[in-house]
Amino acid sequence: MTPPGDDTVTIDLDQREDGELIGIILAAARRGDFETMARTASEVSEMTRNWVTHIPWDDLASLDGADDELARVVEELTGMWEPAHLRNPVDPDEEYALDKNAYDFYRPAGRNLLTRTEDFYDWVQARRRTETWQYSRVLEAAPDSVAQITNDLGRRARGINFNSQDYLSFNTHPGIREAAAKAMHDYGPHSAGSPMVLGNTRISDDLEAALGDLVGLEHVTLFPTGWAAGFGAVVGLVRQSDHILIDRLAHSCLQQGARAATRNVVRYEHLNVEAVRRHLTEIRATDTRNGILVVTDGLFSVDADWPDLVTLQRVCREHDATLLVDVAHDLGSMGPGGTGVLGMQGLLGEVDIVMGAFSKTFCSNGGFVASRSPALKQYVKMFGGSHFFSNALSPVQTAVVREAARIIRSAEGDALRARLFTAIHALRDELTGRGLTCMGEPSPIVPLLIGNEKLARTANRLLFDRGVLAFMVEFPVTPTGSSRFRLQVQAGHRPEEAREAARIIEGALADSRAYLSSAFGSAPR
Amino acid sequence: MYDAIVIGARCSGASTALLLARQGHRVLVVDRASFPSDVISTHFLWPHGMSYLNRWGLLGEVLAVTPAHTTVEVVNDGISLTGSVPVELLREYFRDLHGDDSGVVQSYASVRRRVLDQILIDAATGAGAEVRTGFTVRELIVEDGQVVGIRGRTADGEPVEERARIVIGADGRNSFVARTLALPKYDERPRCTFAYWSYWSGFDLGPAQLHRRGRLACAVVPTNFDQNMVLVWGPSEWSREFRADVPGNYQKALDFVSPELGEMVRAKGTREERIYGTLDQSAFLRPLHGPGWVLVGDAESAKDQCTAIGMTHAFRDAELVSAALDRWLRGDVSIDEAMTAYGDRRRSQNAAAYHDYVCTLAEMRPYRHDELQLFVALRGNQQETDRFIATHADVAPVSEFFQASNLFLLNDAAKESSADHAVFADFAETSRSYQQNMFA
Ligand SMILES: Cc1cc2nc3c(=O)[nH]c(=O)nc-3n(C[C@H](O)[C@H](O)[C@H](O)COP(=O)(O)OP(=O)(O)OC[C@H]3O[C@@H](n4cnc5c(N)ncnc54)[C@H](O)[C@@H]3O)c2cc1C
Ligand SMILES: Cc1ncc(COP(=O)(O)O)c(C=O)c1O
Repeated sequence: MTPPGDDTVTIDLDQREDGELIGIILAAARRGDFETMARTASEVSEMTRNWVTHIPWDDLASLDGADDELARVVEELTGMWEPAHLRNPVDPDEEYALDKNAYDFYRPAGRNLLTRTEDFYDWVQARRRTETWQYSRVLEAAPDSVAQITNDLGRRARGINFNSQDYLSFNTHPGIREAAAKAMHDYGPHSAGSPMVLGNTRISDDLEAALGDLVGLEHVTLFPTGWAAGFGAVVGLVRQSDHILIDRLAHSCLQQGARAATRNVVRYEHLNVEAVRRHLTEIRATDTRNGILVVTDGLFSVDADWPDLVTLQRVCREHDATLLVDVAHDLGSMGPGGTGVLGMQGLLGEVDIVMGAFSKTFCSNGGFVASRSPALKQYVKMFGGSHFFSNALSPVQTAVVREAARIIRSAEGDALRARLFTAIHALRDELTGRGLTCMGEPSPIVPLLIGNEKLARTANRLLFDRGVLAFMVEFPVTPTGSSRFRLQVQAGHRPEEAREAARIIEGALADSRAYLSSAFGSAPR
Repeated sequence: MYDAIVIGARCSGASTALLLARQGHRVLVVDRASFPSDVISTHFLWPHGMSYLNRWGLLGEVLAVTPAHTTVEVVNDGISLTGSVPVELLREYFRDLHGDDSGVVQSYASVRRRVLDQILIDAATGAGAEVRTGFTVRELIVEDGQVVGIRGRTADGEPVEERARIVIGADGRNSFVARTLALPKYDERPRCTFAYWSYWSGFDLGPAQLHRRGRLACAVVPTNFDQNMVLVWGPSEWSREFRADVPGNYQKALDFVSPELGEMVRAKGTREERIYGTLDQSAFLRPLHGPGWVLVGDAESAKDQCTAIGMTHAFRDAELVSAALDRWLRGDVSIDEAMTAYGDRRRSQNAAAYHDYVCTLAEMRPYRHDELQLFVALRGNQQETDRFIATHADVAPVSEFFQASNLFLLNDAAKESSADHAVFADFAETSRSYQQNMFA
């Protein structure tokens, strides 16, 4: 670069690079040499002059005497040539914590499995230091509509609790606690082993029957978790040469089951039954020999919507495909008599395979797979891996789920669901009334759309101290750029509590937007 | 009294004027520049940019003088991917954003602004818009807090005053309208790239090539006048040292990022113009609209050049804002409804995700192991390679590609492994060396 102060005019005038020319202009400005400024400005390329329109390129000579204007021009030109961030550094931790996402660490480098996790850990630490790490909070006492928690920096908070999946508030229900205590007394805490050996009790048999009754599919198998049920059903049934069509937002246990089972996986557009029909036709055009499993959730756990299962099941039958529906979130918590999305669509006993989890409404751990086929049941028990090779649900868990299933079917169940939906409507109405976007349909899951991860992380940080416990979901749970708060409502939430929470959330979002100075909203396109 | 006055007569302004005039509105469009002329830009148009031109009936004129291709080669640390933006995704883009998918084309081109902006201006004139070039706006007329017109000077220094129902700021990154109204900046991302480029004759490589190695990148794209636009860019933290010897470091960067291209330029190329450059491309948004005014193009959202998207975004804005204003000018909706419709599309989740995508890329950090692995996994998977290119170009939403189950599937379907690519041989050492400022 020409040293500052050198304003010699070279012969290849039109070849001088703009940076060099601007350097000369700035040096001349410092000397008060307006004539050189003007002469040099006329050499600046047309490209730059048309872009940097706030500099009066043609009138630099007239800046003589206009001190404010000269200072402005010098500042603007300097800004162009010394980018601002090189002059004003920001908090590196905060920048790092907010600008990355977990996907950035998905494939670490190096052959040492122990040390190559460190990059990710550095990021986790930056998120912790800036209190934007939403994971691994712990409870200090039994949660109900309010909970007391500690975050993973050891800071405590108390707030209206939307993090429990206990939709009918069974965790504090005396009948449920009594069932647990009785099983504990009768059988002790241990399930002896695998359900294929001696892990089940009489309670397990009763429970299978009760669940079969609830979904109208009499052959039921229990699994130690919902995750195990989904994974086990898919890998147990699908051969490598078979096909899987899976809703692209179906639960992780099903996605990972699909990956483990076959390479022939199509992830169809969320809820799009027509897309399923198209894919089925395509597959059947070339493959008449192998099986096709179509996989979907009932109530989707981060979108709060559900597919048209009537059409989906019909389309499957037309193409000799089998349908599997995961009712983890809706069974027990909604639908006539707690029959969930299946009952709402008049499909009790009609769907090929239904799986569910007890970890939500049923107030325990565990899961199940149900169908009308005793053969399918035996097959999944043998080949589903997670049933055979994992200890059975404990007697206490089984007893809790059995009692939960009983209440769900009773008049008390109806009353609890009515209370739950009153709270759901109160929350959704208040959020919507404040101009926020609740996704999906009224259901125990209320996804509040945020979009941008930075905004969500910052709002999450504020909410912690403002008395609302809401789980922020971002990638990999949701796709990049569509983060949200997942609010899980309970029968125990008073409508006023729900409305209060909505007000607090709106305030935290507004403050975060101001903090980040962000203009983005949350409309999809 | 005009229906609309547009300040700025380039990608966003001339197009907005053209579309409004075609809808039958009285439009004045002014620009301080004279035409044909260039403005800072490396003027690459992705297929949706070309599709806009086609929708407006202008693509033929552009193609008559500009080379176009459909496949593009993207090489990251030696891992090469070749693909094109799929027609189906283009259609989806236009349906989602504009409600109809007519006129989609799959080609891209690099069109000099002196060529393109003149075509746009001629079309605006042809459609009945009044175009005044060499006209500098110096004042906004504001009455009761409402912008109602402009005062400015013609090329001969003649003062002029004009009024309209709406004033549209299409006046670029350094927007006069925004400065005059003292509009704030939102979503600022100061980290950006420095970019230096020039025009070379003497070779023809066919389709565009985009190369990246460590923290530097280069692109060679055929453009008008039988020339190639040859661009290098890198992190602005290195710009001070780069500037110390622009021609030398330009060649040095080329040689580092792609020795083959460096050699081609050195051995066969003749530089036809000076080297152009810019250092500050920090990203920001501005408020979109207010009483009597609305912004389009770089004025409302400026971002780094690293994905070559600003002109296409300017076209998008022109279609969105003219559709919205047309409904208002006809009396079908209120101005608030019209502007909300425009704002919803411009400040959406997808727009936010893409803003983050560009800004993160513009930091020019060396690719991490996982990112390079992803490029390896894409090799041989044409459909997903194409979708990746479409995502990079803001045709397909970032959220659909960068989604956990998709990335799992990509990895599972990989046909090649890192063993096939030299960059993985001593990755830790290589990425450390990439952190060194090679111009220091
Ligand atoms: C280095 C670089 C490379 C780029 N490369 C690409 C690329 O490859 N592809 C791509 O799509 N985009 C690219 N961009 C971005 C692209 O150039 C811009 O997004 C695009 O030019 C924006 O168009 P516009 O019409 O909004 O503004 P501009 O093109 O900046 O036009 C604004 C006009 O307003 C006029 N004006 C301003 N003030 C006044 C006033 N007071 N009175 C009258 N007129 C006025 C100016 O004279 C100017 O003509 C690049 C940008 C940079 C910096
Ligand atoms: C839809 C869905 N299916 C399955 C599961 C897994 O259940 P569990 O937590 O019992 O393993 C969950 C819970 O995370 C879920 O949301």
